[in-house]
Amino acid sequence: MDQSVAIQETLVEGEYCVIAVQGVLCKGDSRQSRLLGLVRYRLENDVQEHALFLYTHRRMAITGDDVALDQIVPLSKDFMLEEVSPDGELYILGSDVTVQLTTAELRLVFQLPFGSHTRTFLQEVARACPGFDPETRDPEFLWLCRHRCAESEAESPKPREWNSDPGTRSGFAPIGGGRYQSWNARRGLEDVLPRGPGYILLWGGATKEPEFLLAEEVHEGGPVRGPRARGGRRDEALEEADWEMSAGGGSRERDCAGGYNVDSSRPNGRGLLPLDQSSGARCPDKPENSLTRQNRSKAEITDMVRSSTITVSDKAHILSMQKFGLRDTMVRSHLLQKEGEYTYIQNFRFFVGTYNVNGQSPKECLRPWLSSDTKAPDVYCVGFQELDLSKEAFFFHDTPKEEEWFKAVSESLHPDAKYAKVKLIRLVGIMLLLYVKQEHAAYISEVEAETVGTGIMGRMGNKGGVAIRFQLHNTSICVVNSHLAAHTEEYERRNQDYRDICSRMQFSQVDPSLPPLTISKHDVILWLGDLNYRIEELDVEKVKKLVEEKAFHTLYAHDQLKIQVAAKTVFEGFTEGEITFQPTYKYDTGSDNWDTSEKCRAPAWCDRVLWRGKNISQLSYQSHMSLKTSDHKPVSSVFEIGVRVVNEELYRKTLEEIVRSLDKMENANIPSVTLSKREFCFENVKYMQLQTATFTIHNGQVPCEFEFINKPDEETYCKQWLTAKPSRGFLLPDSHVEIELELFVNKATATKLNSGKDTIEDILVLHLHRGKDYFLSVTGNYLPSCFGSPIHTLCYMREPILDLPLKIVNELTLMTVQTADDRSQLEKPMEIPKELWMMVDYLYRNAVQQEDLFQQPGLRPEFEHIRDCLDTGMIDHLCANNHSVAEALLLFLESLPEPVICYSAYHSCLECSGSHTASKQVISTLPTFHKNVFSYLMAFLQELLKNSAKNHLDENILASIFGSLLLRSPAGHRKLDMAEKKKAQEFIHHFLCNPL
Amino acid sequence: MATTPYNYSYIFKYIIIGDMGVGKSCLLHQFTEKKFMADCPHTIGVEFGTRIIEVSGQKIKLQIWDTAGQERFRAVTRSYYRGAAGALMVYDITRRSTYNHLSSWLTDARNLTNPNTVIILIGNKADLEAQRDVTYEEAKQFAEENGLLFLEASAKTGENVEDAFLEAAKKIYQNIQDGSLDLNAAESGVQHKPSAPQGGRLTSEPQPQREGCGC
Ligand SMILES: Nc1nc2c(ncn2[C@@H]2O[C@H](COP(=O)(O)OP(=O)(O)OP(=O)(O)O)[C@@H](O)[C@H]2O)c(=O)[nH]1
Ligand SMILES: [Mg+2]
Repeated sequence: MDQSVAIQETLVEGEYCVIAVQGVLCKGDSRQSRLLGLVRYRLENDVQEHALFLYTHRRMAITGDDVALDQIVPLSKDFMLEEVSPDGELYILGSDVTVQLTTAELRLVFQLPFGSHTRTFLQEVARACPGFDPETRDPEFLWLCRHRCAESEAESPKPREWNSDPGTRSGFAPIGGGRYQSWNARRGLEDVLPRGPGYILLWGGATKEPEFLLAEEVHEGGPVRGPRARGGRRDEALEEADWEMSAGGGSRERDCAGGYNVDSSRPNGRGLLPLDQSSGARCPDKPENSLTRQNRSKAEITDMVRSSTITVSDKAHILSMQKFGLRDTMVRSHLLQKEGEYTYIQNFRFFVGTYNVNGQSPKECLRPWLSSDTKAPDVYCVGFQELDLSKEAFFFHDTPKEEEWFKAVSESLHPDAKYAKVKLIRLVGIMLLLYVKQEHAAYISEVEAETVGTGIMGRMGNKGGVAIRFQLHNTSICVVNSHLAAHTEEYERRNQDYRDICSRMQFSQVDPSLPPLTISKHDVILWLGDLNYRIEELDVEKVKKLVEEKAFHTLYAHDQLKIQVAAKTVFEGFTEGEITFQPTYKYDTGSDNWDTSEKCRAPAWCDRVLWRGKNISQLSYQSHMSLKTSDHKPVSSVFEIGVRVVNEELYRKTLEEIVRSLDKMENANIPSVTLSKREFCFENVKYMQLQTATFTIHNGQVPCEFEFINKPDEETYCKQWLTAKPSRGFLLPDSHVEIELELFVNKATATKLNSGKDTIEDILVLHLHRGKDYFLSVTGNYLPSCFGSPIHTLCYMREPILDLPLKIVNELTLMTVQTADDRSQLEKPMEIPKELWMMVDYLYRNAVQQEDLFQQPGLRPEFEHIRDCLDTGMIDHLCANNHSVAEALLLFLESLPEPVICYSAYHSCLECSGSHTASKQVISTLPTFHKNVFSYLMAFLQELLKNSAKNHLDENILASIFGSLLLRSPAGHRKLDMAEKKKAQEFIHHFLCNPL
Repeated sequence: MATTPYNYSYIFKYIIIGDMGVGKSCLLHQFTEKKFMADCPHTIGVEFGTRIIEVSGQKIKLQIWDTAGQERFRAVTRSYYRGAAGALMVYDITRRSTYNHLSSWLTDARNLTNPNTVIILIGNKADLEAQRDVTYEEAKQFAEENGLLFLEASAKTGENVEDAFLEAAKKIYQNIQDGSLDLNAAESGVQHKPSAPQGGRLTSEPQPQREGCGC
């Protein structure tokens, strides 16, 4: 889950969350989850500033409302985020990464999850750190003011101070200096870290030397760091920054986009306009790009064709899209691969014509040339050469002839259809016109036109070529009109011109990041023009004679183009149809007579049409003798060309399939594990008797991090009597880990289980990061025990606790001390718990002379035996070491939910510990059963003291042992305050040496 | 041109709830994989699925959480409702008990999600007409009374499965459009995705119009 999205929602215009990571903030022993977001802000002049925003958050932050800004740490010059190895711990692959954040004011330690995301995060932060170069302007962080209100005043200094001269704030106390003390102490750093100004100046400019020294000491034990290490790191960061800049505007624009989005989503509270819509509104002249094709009126289409930048076909449009993210790139490449599945071939009729007009204006109707076919062509490609031979045209690139011929052509297009002009391109006298039937206009896209001059100096436009490339449905087509070098002997020049045109003709792509297209990269190439190849080695008269005889085959053998093509020196891969018309050059203007001028040129097939590509068949190839305007005759060729047409339905289907397969991939990438066991039953759980169960997590193919997570409103992932070991971890693909569930009921949990307020029942949620959650159910039953039962409850149990129905045990456990006293008249409870009596009696009978009683540990298995005897009432079977029974007695007292001297009496006991009378007075206020127990125990202890010669016990030892058991602080401190402890002993002491 | 054609601009979180065995997991599986799982184990936990759909030309990524239906997990599964933009509440048309429990599921859904969460009632296993135990009409009426969308579907044949997820998405999108669902509000369950970083290019710099021969 990308949590930067949630953070982005909390930001304002101009701020952009570059990357976010979820980590654990370690303060002393406390661990709190934080979302760390690297936020970039762009000022004018392309200057950027960064800050780390720390958020508290809900488990899975999805929206801005799931996070709350806690603290902002600007990436000032003194900012540092470095990986440290936790002290004394071995680095374990897959374990959390511990990082330390240092600035002049504070120092925080985080644990970040293992993995590449954390790596990327750290790299991004390193990259965002301002350089150390004194030349660069110090960041000011004025923009952070906006967030100040959200933070508590104490948490951060005023924005100005972030970067004011360190000297001016020498009195400024380090933020959190006190708070992090415990952490420092843990690492034994206290003495090397002076507080106050010196500390603040760490890494500061003025007092460099000592500071660096200090820093080295700080990092002792960790990786070596010092000025050099740091310097190196900086250089790297700078280099990377440079690289980013030179990598182009990408990142800058990225920011704008982010900013724009925030802009539109924040101030007016609407935030609903998806990005594309809002920016679509900014360029209203662009046609819609929705995937469903719109029905547009014909007029609109003609217009669009004229503007010739339309992107109408879904496919064409999509294929021309820039690279967006990996997903898009993948979809696009899949679409290309599967083109065959959603396209079919449809034939289109192409008219290709070429006419060298010898600088003339149109004088006759062009229909005989352009509309001689019975069927109206779908596409017209009409080329002219020598449109204008004047100097003006040559030098000023402007000619009235362009309009004249364009009009003449437009008027002579086939009368059976309506056409739209797609494009007109001209280089001096070389002009190419492209028309399509109006109904096809919507399927023309990516129209580009270019020119290449090969004339004088190899550049000028008196010779050369022009070309138009476009996409018709899904087929890319390039039409070239060229006028190559003249003169019979210059065929090598003509070949060279061809090669020049091929190499220099480059069409830019819609996506500027893609290399430009060349002529050869098209599905269909149509090449027409005055190619100027002549008939060689035959004298003029011979040629004329052969023409007259229509012995074209004999002439072919002498046609330079045929010869050159056969020699593969030019037009490689191109085809030309059979020529069945007489040479189109050179005639006396206004007639069909061969040139009678002085030069008396030999007739030649100068004007030609060639093609390259699949699914192309030539229907006709002819000249048009009736046109007499020029010394050339126009040539035409009609083709039937198979074009790839998108079947909308199949296209949608294919697209859907691709998107689906990507979705599936994504679903397959959700981490998933199998658990060897999900139900755990712990039967007959007993007090302080460990039970364990194990299960195995087998990972699937995706690396995953697992963790038992808390259920809502619960502080821990499971009940207090349960632990899972380990409770979190990282699994590589196909690996597994064994988890041990340990169930252990102790004094903290026993009472609730006895009362039925708690049961051995729990659901653990095993969460996979970015993946599923698994529920594990734990069930079982607890065998109630006298351990953990209140004194008065036990007094009311005349039978062994395990012989009583569970309901009664529950009820009696829930009974309050007051009720117990009130009920005593009626139910004749015992004066003290029989279990207490059993243990004391056992000791009285067997252990009064036992050496070191209460000072030697018991045996574990014996404790379990004693517990069972007490709970089942089989006291006669009790057979144990004296020390074990003595310890059981102490454990019994310790497990009492309400100590013998009730919590409420604790403080009065300590107060009057100086006086025996007063102490007795307090005891008399205790509830009856507690009073009884107290007196009973004191009597027993006094009995023991009578044998002190044997058992080596004295008042002090006993007061010390029993003081802290009978008198327990209501505050629940584990370790008593020494003074309180002393008083408690003193209190008990009275009852040991004075008669009861 | 600014749109990223295959990338999504919204993420909607869905939850699927209902008694055990009504076919929640099968519906999810049918929706994401177009396959029916004849013997699907009980869900003991919460599973995920995602799929990108299109509503009004907008690409929307659905993030679907399939919850365990067993009563004993109810307390835990409740915690997954939060932040859902859509809830699919499923019963089995061949088992009246699953229909009778709807009001309790509905109470949970209403209490634990935000007021704008779109709830769609789905009568699943519509292919088992012979064993029908709940009529279309009464369920329809229940849905109307409670302002729920309603469909009968079959995870087995796939009938209406797409529609169930799509109808809910349409309604959510409509709520966004007419402003009744405030994306900034707590737990809207909808995430508006800022454009992918690389995608920012075209948006900030409209392509210059290429025109004519350029001379
Ligand atoms: N005939 C028929 N059977 C279905 C249909 N949908 C689900 N089933 C069957 O019903 C059983 C239960 O389906 P699940 O999808 O596991 O039910 P669930 O709601 O996810 O159950 P829990 O995970 O326990 O909450 C499976 O055996 C499915 O094969 C359906 O549309 N038609
Ligand atoms: Mg399920």
